[in-house]
Amino acid sequence: MGEEEEKGSSENGVESKEEEQDEQENNVLRFLDSLDSYLVLMDSLSPTLRQGWMELASARHSMGASRINSALFDLKHHNAATSLEVNHHDDTTMQQTCFTLCKWASPDTQNLCSKEATLEEGELLQRKASSPQIRHRGASRSSEEVQEKRPQPYGPPVTVDDQVQKERSKSLSVFGALVSPKLRGAQLSFETALETLVEIANIRSTILCARDQVQEEMKTTM
Amino acid sequence: MYGFEALTFNIHGGYLEAIVRGHRSGLLTAADYNNLCQCETLDDIKMHLSATEYGPYLQNEPSPLHTTTIVEKCTLKLVEDYKHMLCQATEPLATFLEYITYGHMIDNVVLIVTGTLHERDVQELLEKCHPLGMFDSIATLAVAQNMRELYRLVLVDTPLAPYFSECITSEDLDDMNIEIMRNTLYKAYLEDFYKFCQKLGGATAEIMSDLLSFEADRRAVNITINSIGTELTRDDRKKLYSSFGLLYPYGHEELAVCEDIDQVRGVMEKYPPYQSIFAKLSYGESQMLDKAFYEEEVKRLCLAFEQQFHYGVFFAYMRLREQEIRNLMWISECVAQNQKSRVHDSVVFIF
Repeated sequence: MGEEEEKGSSENGVESKEEEQDEQENNVLRFLDSLDSYLVLMDSLSPTLRQGWMELASARHSMGASRINSALFDLKHHNAATSLEVNHHDDTTMQQTCFTLCKWASPDTQNLCSKEATLEEGELLQRKASSPQIRHRGASRSSEEVQEKRPQPYGPPVTVDDQVQKERSKSLSVFGALVSPKLRGAQLSFETALETLVEIANIRSTILCARDQVQEEMKTTM
Repeated sequence: MYGFEALTFNIHGGYLEAIVRGHRSGLLTAADYNNLCQCETLDDIKMHLSATEYGPYLQNEPSPLHTTTIVEKCTLKLVEDYKHMLCQATEPLATFLEYITYGHMIDNVVLIVTGTLHERDVQELLEKCHPLGMFDSIATLAVAQNMRELYRLVLVDTPLAPYFSECITSEDLDDMNIEIMRNTLYKAYLEDFYKFCQKLGGATAEIMSDLLSFEADRRAVNITINSIGTELTRDDRKKLYSSFGLLYPYGHEELAVCEDIDQVRGVMEKYPPYQSIFAKLSYGESQMLDKAFYEEEVKRLCLAFEQQFHYGVFFAYMRLREQEIRNLMWISECVAQNQKSRVHDSVVFIF
């Protein structure tokens, strides 16, 4: 009897050790995957911003310097078109900060707020497996629409919510009601860059969390 | 020969025509643009421009330069040339030269009104105005609350007064109303300029009607493309088109109902002069349309210099200088943003 109990407990001990090792490996994998996603996003941010600045210069060339300049920015009190929510998630194993971008979410259009889901391990792996293009987040989009490329302003019809389009036009109206397609293109580029920045912030939060877990495990095993 | 201009033009216009042809020979050549496109920094651009007619305007600018500084200083050269010609001109050339600046005046009025609507400082707005479009009471625009006041307080004493008859309402000024006001004023100005040139007759009427018709057609296309997907109705869009030009009236009817760039292309390709412009674009694309229009405009402006004894050379020179300044602005932006591969996207060679 005693031998059987000893055998059972040693088997349990081996199993728990194997589980611990799996857990450690998963944490290391999560850390490395997050790091890879972070580097991919950082690489994609610079070209997006450069494209936006170039399109803005192109719009200025097309419409004239008097129509696109900083002297036209609206100094009247108005609500922000886009806001960022910061949430802290605390559980028994980790503390992680989550950033949520709410685009085109003025008080009149609260239902348009696009929620940034906390990046979980599965999503990270899926992102790595797919092409390194940026996911486009928008209000009420289906999963197919999330994969759409940046829409051409006057190409084939695009399934973008009318209200979002109105909010976009409203924010450009400081430069006039009839603006060049190049200015709209610049707006989309900077919008994409902003989404990328929020993704980078979330991934960085995941990296830090995974790193802390790995370090914790290394301390306990030593 | 259209009339007997050769007998009498040089009495009053000969000196200034010689002056403007001299200015034309100072425009940048393809070799100048090639050198500028290879610059690494804005200081290099300043160095290359020091050997051109822009040299005296840029030489005292300290480093680091900004692209807006280069544009401002080059514009001063244009303003100086214009003022010299204006002060030497007799009628009707003086009125013709004043007409050339009314477009800038309209832009300045809209800038001040829009900036005031956005609670900007008037002084800041005045610094951004184009120097060719300045007039004495321009700062008073900031007190107007609607178009009626705009007219009554300020614009009634300016050359833009006759163009306001279609704009006067008591509606408050908002972004859409201001945009409609801008385009309505410009439409009235172009039509008035066209009629003035027709009254002058001769080679001036022939050459200027071609140039102004092209301008009216280009504006119609730009208004159409820029209003796609906006709240501007078809009727309002049609009201902004000028009442002359190759596209008037049937092309305007078709453009008014266009909902995308391909439909605009379909309309424009029916007109042979614009087939070559749209042939340079791929389907669904509008990015290179501006450059294609500028290239066509430059071609027509250069042709104006092939004849003598008409006022079209003055208009052509002013527009070619403005195109040159646009080129310099684009090259400066590409250099400043380290995107020299894009420099040929928008540069239009004049010679």
